[in-house]
Amino acid sequence: MNGVKKMLLNLIIVGALSGAVLSGVFTKAEPLIKANKEKELREAIFMVLPEAKDFKVVEKTVGQQKLIVYKGIDAGGLPVGVAFKADGNGFSANIGLMVGLDLDYLRLKGIEVLEQLETPGLGDRIRDESFKDQFKGLETRPRIEYIKYRKPERPNQIQAITGATISSEAVIKNINRAVEQVVANFPREEMMKAEEGPRQAAPATEGQDAAR
Amino acid sequence: MQQDKSLLYEFKKGLWQDIPPFRLLLGLCPALAVSNSAINGLSMGLATLFVLFTSNIVVSLIRRTISAKVRIPAYVVVIATLVTVTDIFLAAVFPAISKALGPYIPLIVANCIILGRAEAFAQKNALLPTAMDTLGIGIGFTMSLTLMGTIREVLGFGSVFGMQLLGSWFEPWIVMILPAGAFLVLGGLVALVSWISSRKAARARAAETAAS
Amino acid sequence: MDQKTTNTTPGTAVGKPSVREAAAEAPAAAARLIVSSSPHFMADESIPKIMHTVVAALMPAAAASIYFFGWRALLLIVFCIASCLATEYAFQRIRRQPVKIHDGSAVITGMLLAMTLPAGFPLFGAFLGSFFAIGVGKQLFGGLGYNIFNPALLGRAFLMATYPVLTTTWVEPRTVEKAVDAVTAATPIGLWKFEGNMDFNLLDMFLGNTAGSLGETSALAIIIGGLYLRYKGYINWKLPLGYLGTIAAVSAVFWLVNPARYPDPLFHLFAGGAMLGAWFMVTDMVTSPTTSLGQWIFVIAAGVMAVVIRIFGGLPEGVMYSILFMNAFVPLLNKHTRPRVFGMVKSGKG
Repeated sequence: MNGVKKMLLNLIIVGALSGAVLSGVFTKAEPLIKANKEKELREAIFMVLPEAKDFKVVEKTVGQQKLIVYKGIDAGGLPVGVAFKADGNGFSANIGLMVGLDLDYLRLKGIEVLEQLETPGLGDRIRDESFKDQFKGLETRPRIEYIKYRKPERPNQIQAITGATISSEAVIKNINRAVEQVVANFPREEMMKAEEGPRQAAPATEGQDAAR
Repeated sequence: MQQDKSLLYEFKKGLWQDIPPFRLLLGLCPALAVSNSAINGLSMGLATLFVLFTSNIVVSLIRRTISAKVRIPAYVVVIATLVTVTDIFLAAVFPAISKALGPYIPLIVANCIILGRAEAFAQKNALLPTAMDTLGIGIGFTMSLTLMGTIREVLGFGSVFGMQLLGSWFEPWIVMILPAGAFLVLGGLVALVSWISSRKAARARAAETAAS
Repeated sequence: MDQKTTNTTPGTAVGKPSVREAAAEAPAAAARLIVSSSPHFMADESIPKIMHTVVAALMPAAAASIYFFGWRALLLIVFCIASCLATEYAFQRIRRQPVKIHDGSAVITGMLLAMTLPAGFPLFGAFLGSFFAIGVGKQLFGGLGYNIFNPALLGRAFLMATYPVLTTTWVEPRTVEKAVDAVTAATPIGLWKFEGNMDFNLLDMFLGNTAGSLGETSALAIIIGGLYLRYKGYINWKLPLGYLGTIAAVSAVFWLVNPARYPDPLFHLFAGGAMLGAWFMVTDMVTSPTTSLGQWIFVIAAGVMAVVIRIFGGLPEGVMYSILFMNAFVPLLNKHTRPRVFGMVKSGKG
């Protein structure tokens, strides 16, 4: 009986101590982790909307789905474009993109690859500047298409990466799907409205609130 | 030999004689999975070293108070706590490394080196020998992973720690970044280490016969 | 070191009766000395002879590749052979073994490896592939007869993973009119797989008038070489015909179900590496099973896998992986399909 008691006591003490350590560490680290995530998001948005100095989060619930777009605004509070995430299956796993769309709701301003596990040396060349740059100014209507071995001929075409057609196609599919969703659910007029200029003092706080 | 197990011996054995992935063939999961670049190998090695060192110190300290029947669950709780602390720390302070290592930091829990050292060494030895033992094994493990990462990065990207080493004439070996490359490099190094030690042993034997 | 019986695969090692036992039961012991088909009845002298015949059988395919792709093809073949010989020599010297590069096996590996590469493949890559084929694929396993995998295919698989773009950058043959300069092109199988192109010329594919690796383009030249090998008695008809037959049968099923989407069986036979694999790689004496049942299982499983990879896989071509995969099962197949000798009681499990 004494043995069982000792065992229980051992485990309770070890468990309690580890719980205390973990909660301590977590309380200290949580704001830092949140700030890191926030920074990552801001950087991605500013990468695809180069003129933006700040952004506003616009959320909508369509059916079961929660849609989020980031409305980029310049120093004077004027909108410069919208950014949004585009996720979907690649060759190996999910490809997560940040897409910047011009306010004309036709041309892309740029894309950024946030997350990908494509084949190194082949599919992961979707991260190459030469591939991403093709999307700057690309027209999204009719849907974006890819072309192989040749230079693009039409304003809605990009050249697929040789040997990585599936990854290139996945990127395009993701973008097409996300653009359609945004165009359908976030009317252009709504996005054209000017906002207050970014509060120079604490831009990070605003982003942080927004991300929640 | 049994008697003069000096502290220096406890430290040194992990560096060659018992170097984990190459001689003990332990810790192969991280050695294969996160050795695709020198920095990943080094950071994974250091994270493991930290968990190994601290958890075994704790095990050595509580070795007399813990009831033998519940020692394994108690050790696992200790190890898991320290792994979680490492995970949170990396996510808060080094988000890039945390992202690159992904699920392999939490998986340190399952690294058999750690529980193995706790069972085989820390629970039977005092604080100082335990510290030396785990430092040796941990540094040996870190060196091994860094070496594998360096080889794979040089061949797979032509760089070391992100610095370009080989010129544009070099066509990177994509296979080295893929899992297959991890197996090839590990196999090659295991063979090399065994070959060197068998040569050493043969030379020692030859010297012995010559002396007698 | 005596390597006279190096080609004995582990599976063919017959049980181990002790000497006393053997003496007491002479008839039974004699009955245990089963000699199944190739390779281990070969005398040492005949290894070079067989190998040289295989080299001769590869000549039509080599000539066809030079005709279609020009002197670059010849350079690639010669360079691969030289690299394989150099690697074999280096390994045998380092391991202090008798140097046996004259036996011709490294020449075959070099030729076969070159046959699986596109004509424009860079020479440093060809050297790397040759080194891997001979060094890792053959010598690290213990040399000729001990290797589990076909060395040339292993070299090609390594190159495929190492230089995925270079190994799939094909050029049009010289004989195709539209190709003014040698530009990159897609193989018929790649066109079908990635672009849904069903418009192909079977005659061109049969003769070799398409883009592709050196030895995979001309089905005709490979069949001529294969028939010569068969005539010489060095290959068992079961292996190539079983493999090709399975490919044809499985692809026919898909074709009959949906001819608009899946190409007909002849396409599958003439496209990619099916012919080269069937006649020169499936038939490799060292890496194919020795028993009749084992050979059937080997070729049927490999054939099914080749078509499945072609149709459902991420890669257009499945011949290489299908053969390599089944190579791994050869010791198992040899062990479990060894025929029981008449009058013998099946020995205990295990």
